[in-house]
Amino acid sequence: MKQNNMLAMILAGGRGSRLHELTNKVAKPAVAYGGKYKIIDFPLSNCANSGIDVVGVLTQYESVLLNSYVAGGSSWGLDARDSGVFVLPPREKADANLNVYRGTADAISQNIDFVDTYEPEYVLILSGDHIYKMNYAKMLNFHKENNADATIAVIEVPMKEASRFGIMNTDTETGQIVEFEEKPEHPKSNLASMGIYIFNWKLLRKMLVADMKNEESNHDFGKDIIPTMLNDGKRLFAYKFKGYWKDVGTIDSLWEANMDLLDRKSGLDLDDRTWKIYTEDIPTFPQYISEGADVTNAYVTQGCVVEGEVKNSVLFTSAKVGEGAKVHDCVLMPGAVVEPGAVLNRVIVADGVKIGSRAVVGSADSEHIELISKNVKGVE
Amino acid sequence: MIMARALGIISFSENHIWVDGLEDYRSIAAFSFLGRYRVIDFPISNMSNSGIDRIQVYIRRRPQSLVSHIGTGRHFNINSKSGYVKMMFTDSQEENDYYNTDVKAYLANLDQIENPSNNYVVIAPGYMVYTQDFDALLKTHIESEADITVLYHSVDDAKENYQSCYCVNLNKQKGVESFERNNGKVKNRNIFMDTYVMKKELFIELLREAKKTSSMYTLRMIINDKCHDLDIRGVAHRGFFAPITDFKSYYDGNMALLDLKTAQNLFDGSWPIYTRTSDSCPTQYFDTAVVKKSFLANGCTVGGTVENSVVGRDCVIKPGAVVKNCVLLTNVVIGEGVHIEGQVVDKNAKVTKLKELVADTQTPGYVKRNDTV
Repeated sequence: MKQNNMLAMILAGGRGSRLHELTNKVAKPAVAYGGKYKIIDFPLSNCANSGIDVVGVLTQYESVLLNSYVAGGSSWGLDARDSGVFVLPPREKADANLNVYRGTADAISQNIDFVDTYEPEYVLILSGDHIYKMNYAKMLNFHKENNADATIAVIEVPMKEASRFGIMNTDTETGQIVEFEEKPEHPKSNLASMGIYIFNWKLLRKMLVADMKNEESNHDFGKDIIPTMLNDGKRLFAYKFKGYWKDVGTIDSLWEANMDLLDRKSGLDLDDRTWKIYTEDIPTFPQYISEGADVTNAYVTQGCVVEGEVKNSVLFTSAKVGEGAKVHDCVLMPGAVVEPGAVLNRVIVADGVKIGSRAVVGSADSEHIELISKNVKGVE
Repeated sequence: MIMARALGIISFSENHIWVDGLEDYRSIAAFSFLGRYRVIDFPISNMSNSGIDRIQVYIRRRPQSLVSHIGTGRHFNINSKSGYVKMMFTDSQEENDYYNTDVKAYLANLDQIENPSNNYVVIAPGYMVYTQDFDALLKTHIESEADITVLYHSVDDAKENYQSCYCVNLNKQKGVESFERNNGKVKNRNIFMDTYVMKKELFIELLREAKKTSSMYTLRMIINDKCHDLDIRGVAHRGFFAPITDFKSYYDGNMALLDLKTAQNLFDGSWPIYTRTSDSCPTQYFDTAVVKKSFLANGCTVGGTVENSVVGRDCVIKPGAVVKNCVLLTNVVIGEGVHIEGQVVDKNAKVTKLKELVADTQTPGYVKRNDTV
């Protein structure tokens, strides 16, 4: 807490059911992304790089893998004496028998005791399932300069898509939020909430205590806490974020977010040495490209062995592509195996799944990306 | 858990061993290997995987690179409370390097060797790449009731290679008759892997005796003297073996692993090789990339041609560049239109001005650290 008196809470409880089998065994924040990462590496690395020392990770759905993944925090350097990553699943407490988080705000309410132990002045609320690089210290400066009660990060979205988001209507001069509309039919602005909030802890604490007792409430930041604050005349400001930001909610968008790594103009540069994204360290040998391989426009990581053709694709840790295989416009997740002669087009192959030799999966002109989550038999 | 009884010691090279170029900047143990590793990752991982959790790394000179690589040692999968990876300095003021022997270094740290409760020592070199289950080796040693067990590797190319290595001369019962410098006159030899297992008591006794005999004596020299008084046995090592004892052997050791079967033999999934992560992102291949038979570490961008080469972390191969039979260390840039062949390019070097830098694989060239050529 020594650096900026701000503690971060990452909401990582979502199931992400539109990712289908990818989230059968793990929560969405633990889904693999970008060759060697998991989605939650992004908020955690952003915290580490922004000088935030203490991070609570609120888990709920299928949290065992996620818990063991983030526990300790050493992968992100968050393991010094005054820092840490703390996994916070719902707990039974003496005064209440609550075993689930009823909403995003409730997840924080049930951990007021945790936040209180650090006596932070500010609390940063984050989502565990967005891909972006952001300096939260700059957002905190903006919050302080405006003497705000709460600051919400927003990103400009195309006006025609604005009705899919929570939209902030602001005073264009000051950036002060005058109105919040959840998925408005006729949006008045294109500033979409990124689900990133900074609150003054004392005020938020009071509001959460009241919200817990309110039986009408959904216990949600967007639906309850923010509207109440606006009603109460509190000072809420929109912090405009410019840069790459993606909510990977579907198979198509997860695939797109991976393909964005192949395009140096997409705005997501993981090669930036001043803002590294940290992740778990896995002992594997470096990537090997064989004599007969052909690898172009690809993003490949350690442990991969490529003996076939790989184009416009992202290969995750220890993925294998056999001789004569063709992998085009694909994402191969950790440990995926493409046997010799198999042909893959526009698919995501899930962790450890094997595509048998000469099997053909996916299609070059499919409308949607196909997720292959079960082994595919080879063709004799 | 027999292994709880062995103290791990990682030794430095004797002073007849010198790797031109690279060793000006760091000890062999800290050399980059196969793009992703340091040479010392192999002996430390061997010990860690064998259940040895007290590991002392002896450092003779230029410690900086090794110290920053090893750090707290926890990336080697060692419990940092009950075990350790410790760096041991000799603190010698000797001007003449010939006096800086391993024996002197061990004696300077004798209390650190005596104190732990371990009954045995496993001594392995920080300058040779191989995998070996030391738990199995210790069991063999104890069962044989030998005084000392040493590892050797049988080769059939000792005439051309292993010139800075020693050989073990064995009798029919695998007893060691003597240690002898490879003279390059015989094809088939048993190359000594500078690896020993013995009781700690005997080890300390030998150190004292070596010191009494000569101030330039090394552990190998005193053990050679004892071949007829002590029961010293040789155990044959199988699998990949690359001693890094001169410039050519460093180059050859890297190149040998470009054969995938050889590499898979060294990197068996059940025997992980740990290293310090640098958090580089994956490697990007552009539309113009042509890569064949090569190992690449993470963090690279490849727009040119790479063939039969090892490419270290964070390297840039510009479009139109041709890299063939090379070992590139970390953060090397090969510029547009540059044709480079048969070179070891040291860390942070840029090859952009010279458009052709070609050597054959028998006499590889070297580009200095931080140099722009």
